[in-house]
Amino acid sequence: MNPNICLYFQVHQPYRIKDLRITNIGQDSKYFDEQKNREVFRKVAEKCYLPANALMLELLGKYPDFHIAYSLSGVFLEQCEEYGEDVLESFKKLTDTGKVELLAETYYHSLSAVQSLPEFCEQVSLHCKKIEEIFGQKPRIFRNTELIFNNEIAHIARMMGFRGTLAEGADHILQGRTPNEPYVPPEFYLPKEHYWDVISKHFPGVIPPKKILVLLKNYKLSDDVAFRFSDKSWVGFPLNAETFTDWITSSGGHSINLFMDYETFGEHQWEDTGIFDFLRSLPEIWQKRGIRALTPSQILDEWEHGARSEKGNEHLQKEVKSILSLLSKLWKKSKQSDSEYQEETFDAHLPISWADTERDLSAWKGNDIQHAALQDLYDLEELVKASGDEELVRSWRLLQTSDHFYYMCTKYWNDGDVHKYFSPYDSPYEAYRRFSHALCDLRSRLS
Amino acid sequence: MFGWEYPPMHLGGLGVACQGLVRGLMKNGVKVTLVLPNPDAEIDGDMEVISPNSEMLKNIHVTSALSPYDSAQAYYEKMKGVPREQQNIYGEDLGQAIENYTAASVEMTKNVRPDVLHCHDWMTYEAGVRAANYHQKPLVAHIHATELDRTHFNPNKWIFERERWGFEKADKIIAVSNYTKNILVSHYGISPENISVVHNGNNVTRDKQPDNIQSEYRTDHTPMVLFLGRLTLQKGPNQFLEMAAEIHRIRPDVQFVIAGDGGMLGELIENSVKLGLQGNVIFAGRVSNKEAQKLFAQADCFVMPSLSEPFGLVALEAIEQGTPVILSKQSGVSEVVGPAFKVDFWDTAKMADCVLTVLREAPLANQLRSESSHVLQKLTWEHQAMNVRSLYHELIN
Repeated sequence: MNPNICLYFQVHQPYRIKDLRITNIGQDSKYFDEQKNREVFRKVAEKCYLPANALMLELLGKYPDFHIAYSLSGVFLEQCEEYGEDVLESFKKLTDTGKVELLAETYYHSLSAVQSLPEFCEQVSLHCKKIEEIFGQKPRIFRNTELIFNNEIAHIARMMGFRGTLAEGADHILQGRTPNEPYVPPEFYLPKEHYWDVISKHFPGVIPPKKILVLLKNYKLSDDVAFRFSDKSWVGFPLNAETFTDWITSSGGHSINLFMDYETFGEHQWEDTGIFDFLRSLPEIWQKRGIRALTPSQILDEWEHGARSEKGNEHLQKEVKSILSLLSKLWKKSKQSDSEYQEETFDAHLPISWADTERDLSAWKGNDIQHAALQDLYDLEELVKASGDEELVRSWRLLQTSDHFYYMCTKYWNDGDVHKYFSPYDSPYEAYRRFSHALCDLRSRLS
Repeated sequence: MFGWEYPPMHLGGLGVACQGLVRGLMKNGVKVTLVLPNPDAEIDGDMEVISPNSEMLKNIHVTSALSPYDSAQAYYEKMKGVPREQQNIYGEDLGQAIENYTAASVEMTKNVRPDVLHCHDWMTYEAGVRAANYHQKPLVAHIHATELDRTHFNPNKWIFERERWGFEKADKIIAVSNYTKNILVSHYGISPENISVVHNGNNVTRDKQPDNIQSEYRTDHTPMVLFLGRLTLQKGPNQFLEMAAEIHRIRPDVQFVIAGDGGMLGELIENSVKLGLQGNVIFAGRVSNKEAQKLFAQADCFVMPSLSEPFGLVALEAIEQGTPVILSKQSGVSEVVGPAFKVDFWDTAKMADCVLTVLREAPLANQLRSESSHVLQKLTWEHQAMNVRSLYHELIN
């Protein structure tokens, strides 16, 4: 049996900080480069969001087994309201098809998951509300900023009521196992007073599911499209939809999870690379070969309704696994009923992410300036919140967007790499200069 | 190879770069015969130095009014600061000196069997061209600084033409940066295919940390911002003062040290008073290498606001001492130094803001400091000379 495909696209734009000067501190509480942000938004809208959405709408209408998922950050949605109602409308048209799932994330696309639990809860809750308000959909699957994930985050998401979450299929955790089926985090309980009390405050009335399933990004196949599609030195170049589908079917498993930035289409990979034609031809081939593209929720529904036992090319391995899990259940005198399937454990003790080859937090929390910036920012949390000044809270939150810290990354600075490509500033030091001025101003507003 | 200045007899970056390249080439197995107007060069390994014999030397020992670095007007001021024994390399009549050097050069190299001829800056181009003709071998013209850099695009026409003539005669030009390459293409009309960029390497060898002297003018914990370079238009000392004034308005405790000598000293002293900086600027005069090291180590920030800087070795010296640097975008060195702020030379307000941020934010200063050593590790003369060697090979074959 063919695996399913799970397509999820990340849609996000940060608010870039303007060329603040020390003389602005205490004088100017507008930190962001209005003109630049509008410019970038419109450029990406024309190159990516609008044409890609138009294409998706067409494909969703044409192919009944084609479904997709998006995660739209709160700051992206705000930029839509400011710079692009047309973009927002085109997303609404997509969700109106009923074949598009929207995921939950932190409203400000922040690193709060690894910095502050109360702030993290508040931002996820804010985001869910915003999505429901605009699209009338209640997110059931959580994806954290840049796929940052560890066991703790998985359980916090479970306690928030999510049945599934996404993560990078990091090799060092999979240890040779397939990324193509759902996993569970190791079972443990987070101390009630530190976690449940905080979480339930922001998610009132939620009854956490017993387990949360983790869908892992198949990074090889995802990155073939997102990063390598137009790379002439790559052996797979030029990639066509047939070949790519062959790779998918031979990869096997329950679902091939293709997670990537939406800007892949038209912005990272320009239209003249043929990326839109590639995208257009995929669902047709999938339809012919009986491969379905499902949303994360549908993938989990299928999984839970027993599709997992029917997997063709892995049935032997599966049998061994179920015997092992049966034995382990006997051993543990499992609390679960016999009919319940025990997924493999994906044990991310330390945080992982989808960034760089390290797939850890070093893109945002790797050097002195990043650590200092994050620390200084979150040190203000209590004071900012105690001020009761909504504008102040908002400014503080807008500074939490992960991109600010990404731009400060010096990992490969001298090699002229991807960070440089994505940065609107001259250098990581320039990113820090602007950020530190904004933070100084924020502090001055507190006193 | 035809050089003009060479340590210990040198006034600027040309001599230092020349020595670095020669050493690097020898490490790459290239045999170098260096032709110099002055016999007192530091000899390394099996390098051979040829300089005019006493008979020829007599002819070259003309004292001159022109120098490759300064306008004629600045000559007098500059010469006051130059040790007497060094004055003869830029004599009173540079044109005549070059003429004599050139005439002697072919004569001197007649018995050498070079595969490639390599000459440095316009003073040696004619010697290079004549020798290349004599030996019927390819010529490499190395450009360390153009007349346009030195004069902020108001060149001495004669020198400008000598430079262009040299570029056109050469089989290959080596520019010390893309910045310089662009000047050659857009102002001298040279085809970009004829120009290879080989950035200068790092000459500084990591000695033990210099003793941290505490001079009388510095009290503890007073932030200090440093300028070090010849006091000429090209190096942007006036921009440094403008920046200092901006900083002073916000942080009156900051001290500024201007180290170096040159024709603009008087004007700069006047300007610093006009800007109300008399209590905060120290003119340190010309400093020795050792003193320079100490100044770098003491400075909280080094600023190189050059108006047009083909390379800017001084920035590497600052980085060597772990000093955070702010570099003019109009410089070659900014192409190879990642951990730095890079600002247009005219944007003194931004320059000031960068300095103020470095002074306020310890993590930023630490970050810049901690990364600087990587720059120097990558930028060795041995590595840069390897690029020159492969260029020689291309020319020979």
